[in-house]
Amino acid sequence: MAKVQVLNVAVLDNPSPFGNPFQFEITFECMEDLPEDLEWKIIYVGSAESEEYDQVLDSVLVGPVPAGRHMFVFQADAPNTGLIPESDAVGVTVVLITCTYRGQEFIRIGYYVNNEYTDPELRENPPVKPDYTQLQRNILASNPRVTRFHINWEATMDKMEDSENVDPAPNTMLPPTSMPGKAPPLGLMPDNSMDCL
Amino acid sequence: MKLLKPSWVNHNGKPIFSVDIHPDGTKFATGGQGEDSGKVVIWNMAPVLREDDEKNENIPKLLCQMDNHLACVNCVRWSNNGLYLASGGDDKLVMVWKRAAFIGPSTVFGSSSKLANVEQWRCVTILRNHTGDVMDVAWSPHDVWLASCSVDNTIVIWNARKFPEIVMALKGHTGLVKGLTWDPVGKYIASQADDHSLKVWRTMDWQLETNITKPFSECGGTTHVLRLSWSPDGQYLVSAHAMNNSGPTAQIIERDGWKTNMDFVGHRKAVTVVKFNPKIFKKKQKNGSTPKPSCPYCCCAVGSKDRSLSVWLTSLKRPLVVIHDLFDKSIMDITWTLNGLGLLVCSMDGTVAFLDFSQDELGDPLNEEEKNAIHQNIYGKSLAITMESQLSTTIIENPEMLKYQQERQGNQNPNGAQGSGLENQTPKLTNVLNGESLEDIRKNLLKKQVETRTADGRRRITPLCIAQLDTGDFSPALFNSVPILPGSSASTQLTPQISSDSSTANSLGLRPSHDPTTTSPNKTAEENKDSGTAAVNSIGMKSNLLLTSASKIEPMKALDSRFTERSKATPGVSSVPLTIGITPLDRVKDSSSVKEPKGKDETSSDSEDKTMAKSLSMTKRKGEMEGAEVVEKRKKGRPRKDAKMMMPMSQPFTQTPVSAEKEPSRLITPVVVLKLPTPSIQKSFSTQVSTDAITYLEVENEVSVVSGARLSQLKWSREGREWDTLLPSRIIVATGSSDVVAVACEDRTLSVFTTCGRRLIPSIMLPAPMSALHCSGHFVMALMASATLSVWDVQKQTALVKNESLNPILSGTDATVSRSFLTQQGVAVVSLSNGKTYCFNSSLETWNLIADKQDSLVQCADFRSCVSSQDALGSTGPLALTQGRNLSAGRLASRLSSTPHHLQQGITLAFLENQLSSALILLSASEYRHWLLIYARFLVNEGHEQRLRELCQDLLGPVHKSSSSSWEPTVLGLRKRDLLMEVLPVIGQNLRFQRLFTEYQDQLELVRLK
Repeated sequence: MAKVQVLNVAVLDNPSPFGNPFQFEITFECMEDLPEDLEWKIIYVGSAESEEYDQVLDSVLVGPVPAGRHMFVFQADAPNTGLIPESDAVGVTVVLITCTYRGQEFIRIGYYVNNEYTDPELRENPPVKPDYTQLQRNILASNPRVTRFHINWEATMDKMEDSENVDPAPNTMLPPTSMPGKAPPLGLMPDNSMDCL
Repeated sequence: MKLLKPSWVNHNGKPIFSVDIHPDGTKFATGGQGEDSGKVVIWNMAPVLREDDEKNENIPKLLCQMDNHLACVNCVRWSNNGLYLASGGDDKLVMVWKRAAFIGPSTVFGSSSKLANVEQWRCVTILRNHTGDVMDVAWSPHDVWLASCSVDNTIVIWNARKFPEIVMALKGHTGLVKGLTWDPVGKYIASQADDHSLKVWRTMDWQLETNITKPFSECGGTTHVLRLSWSPDGQYLVSAHAMNNSGPTAQIIERDGWKTNMDFVGHRKAVTVVKFNPKIFKKKQKNGSTPKPSCPYCCCAVGSKDRSLSVWLTSLKRPLVVIHDLFDKSIMDITWTLNGLGLLVCSMDGTVAFLDFSQDELGDPLNEEEKNAIHQNIYGKSLAITMESQLSTTIIENPEMLKYQQERQGNQNPNGAQGSGLENQTPKLTNVLNGESLEDIRKNLLKKQVETRTADGRRRITPLCIAQLDTGDFSPALFNSVPILPGSSASTQLTPQISSDSSTANSLGLRPSHDPTTTSPNKTAEENKDSGTAAVNSIGMKSNLLLTSASKIEPMKALDSRFTERSKATPGVSSVPLTIGITPLDRVKDSSSVKEPKGKDETSSDSEDKTMAKSLSMTKRKGEMEGAEVVEKRKKGRPRKDAKMMMPMSQPFTQTPVSAEKEPSRLITPVVVLKLPTPSIQKSFSTQVSTDAITYLEVENEVSVVSGARLSQLKWSREGREWDTLLPSRIIVATGSSDVVAVACEDRTLSVFTTCGRRLIPSIMLPAPMSALHCSGHFVMALMASATLSVWDVQKQTALVKNESLNPILSGTDATVSRSFLTQQGVAVVSLSNGKTYCFNSSLETWNLIADKQDSLVQCADFRSCVSSQDALGSTGPLALTQGRNLSAGRLASRLSSTPHHLQQGITLAFLENQLSSALILLSASEYRHWLLIYARFLVNEGHEQRLRELCQDLLGPVHKSSSSSWEPTVLGLRKRDLLMEVLPVIGQNLRFQRLFTEYQDQLELVRLK
């Protein structure tokens, strides 16, 4: 069982012009005092085609985290437009919020993002070169997609036995690969596959 | 009798170790093995009881499941009032659950709605003490205590009104303790263990009443559980696995003399569980027959490893019923409904069975009054009577006292979870945190939240704690709520739409992507109407978005996988070279080049080790860092054999302790005894000296060379204002406060300037090179390499501490100074590498120990129950800074099972008194007040009248003026009588002290009138 449960993410300043910073108000609960910080990241998927265009908009450490319920606002600058393929600028993409503890990702919250021109004229005849100043970003806040991963919450590896009951049934949607050198070699199974729809 | 095996009650085939029916009979809990953790499931009872309900799909079967236990759950038990569920497992933990005050079902964030928990049960307390698997838990009558037993051979009695307080750890078993039962009258608790013994303990003094071994001496083998049970009339205790003539039995132990003359015989293998029906029965009166007075009797169910279940009436010699082959594996637990007619049994094979008896079969159950009457007859007083009487006989004599008592009761309600537990609270929309509503907090959260930079330049946010875990429920209104949108009209319009939409999981726009083939345009249009236009922000965009998303089906499918796969970008290093803030290091470069145009390249000539390089990268951007550290290159001209590293200074103690605290000093250097390291000279460096008005000090050594003369420049800037000055010698350390700036130079001079750059005093000649220099207010503290300390008040131009040697604290240890700082009140504080922290008191002229990380008092003291919600967040100030905010106090406390209560009390008392005197000597008024109130609360809770009286007397002082009195009316600038005003309500909460309360209340009134 994860020590940290995300209770809610409220998308602030949404919809907003493309250039506005992302703002997420994150509420989470922690079962016990965490000796180390949580690391949160906002990743903007520049193109559905390739992870190459992913941009980590920002990463932030959150701590200290004593047991209890906490909230904070994670603000990150808008993506660097220079890194977004022009063909992918307008339309639907994804923004991801991930959280890692001791270098292991245990939750991934994804939102669809729709980037559209507000001007009907532009919408009908979009310029070849995207005009980011005219684009509006709309995060589909009502439908977060949450994936939870099992990680080792302890510093020591004495919890190895916990993983022995992990059902190794492969989930086609989830081929999580362990991050070389960072994640411990155990329990990278999704916590709750029902959450992944 | 009807028998049912509800197949839907299962843990996906995993064993079910425990089952318990809720006292109100509407639900039951199971505990056992989950997929990769322990699992507790709460089920609806109605589908078990009625076939119609079972078939009705609108009636939920599963109400809630909790996988918080890290390993298999061995026992689940509802409290008698039904508010709490306790679970114990192989993870050595006992968790106490309470239903969150949600109205109706709610989903886990982001999960699809159909698998949502219908009820929300949250873990309100985790009880940690056992060092082995917890096998059984039991609530005492009236839920005063919770007992848990473990394979660590102990039984722990928890104070159920004040979790996680431990009342007692019962030790004496020499084997795994596998079962517990309370005497229904509350006088005893019995335990059965693998050590061939059953022990009965008194609740009065928690000592052993009797140790029964004979029936168990032949017991061999291991039984997973030994759940014994006490009869509802208190007369009989029935054990699990016992042996009689080498046959397995359930031993009946009579309360009267603990005689063991009878047993339940017949099972072929060991008895794992015995459970008495909670009702006492009397013979069913047949119509027409003459009512003849018959002895009431009890009913008992016995489950065994032989997979069979037997039900006995104490009035019959033979079992009422025996059911064989009910399960494929051993029976693990039995629970009765409160009406006494239903019975749930669970087994290792992962199934449960339900037995439904009729009154014809069991008899007429006695009602509670009749049951109490029996208790009265046998024991004089029933527990219910004694409990209430103790509280109600005290007459409240003082109206003020009554007020506080009422207030206290009122206060308990909002925090129902921690108190003895009242009814479920309806959620309150306006939650208040430190007098601020949650909505207010949310509006300003971004502005208010504390954000700092770590040593490696990362952003670090301190999250706002909105609820302590143990204080139970917090407003559910917050969760799944809509964001507070900044007042733009478009967004306010959108708000209700989003909220109405949030219930429907599939909103438009996404539908085509999930399921493009089945979505007809009509249907989509309909949904548009129904679900609102969450994804769309302006009118006329609907169709457009649909078009867009439809045309984007392929990319979105590709996108879908991104929700679940960990991307390569996640580890923090992106493959895209120019993304914003890819790695901490890049960020450092970015910010240093952008925000710090003056930043010179300091790394060039550095040949130090990696840590040095790391530190230097930090210095590059320390301009934007609070509580910056100054790291300088080692001075080449003065090599020291012992000093393998430089001794960078720790950060100065700035106005906000919070910010200073964020960067724990990490720099410890080995030095020769009584020789402190000096910082090496750097070509240039800058440091931030104040946080509220951002103030930078920049130093550039050897800046202007005029005919061979070298000068050093000191530059000061605060919010646009700046000045600079020149010094003849190279600057080693520069620091400042809101009032002054102090600079130590290579030529052993110390210069002090005002914040306008005016020199306050001519250069002070120091007896030795500077090791550490701090400013706070108008105080300047200098720690010299000769291990001497000086503190000056530059405003009054006096010395507070004059060349005081650190000898007393350093000698005899190989510790070094790891950190030093100066408080706002000018008290010098020095932390050593051995974890001890001292301050120098200039009036006593002594070094005083104020913090010791190894202090066992700190670790054993347990005052958590005395921390009120207001000061739960801890105090801030120099004391908290030295001891660490999250004082580890009490961490060990709960583990010291062997510590008797009075010892624990003494430890806590000593600790609190230490804190109080330390705050006093540090002249930290807010901390003094903080600890004083905790201390008072502790004295009140624990009933230390003498000390309480002394405390009050000191705070009150003499009522009548007399010249001989040496009483000071203030302490640290706080008026003592004001403090007493704060302490009195605390005293008023304990009726025992109402005389004391009245006494001081009256005197205080008298004094105020004068």
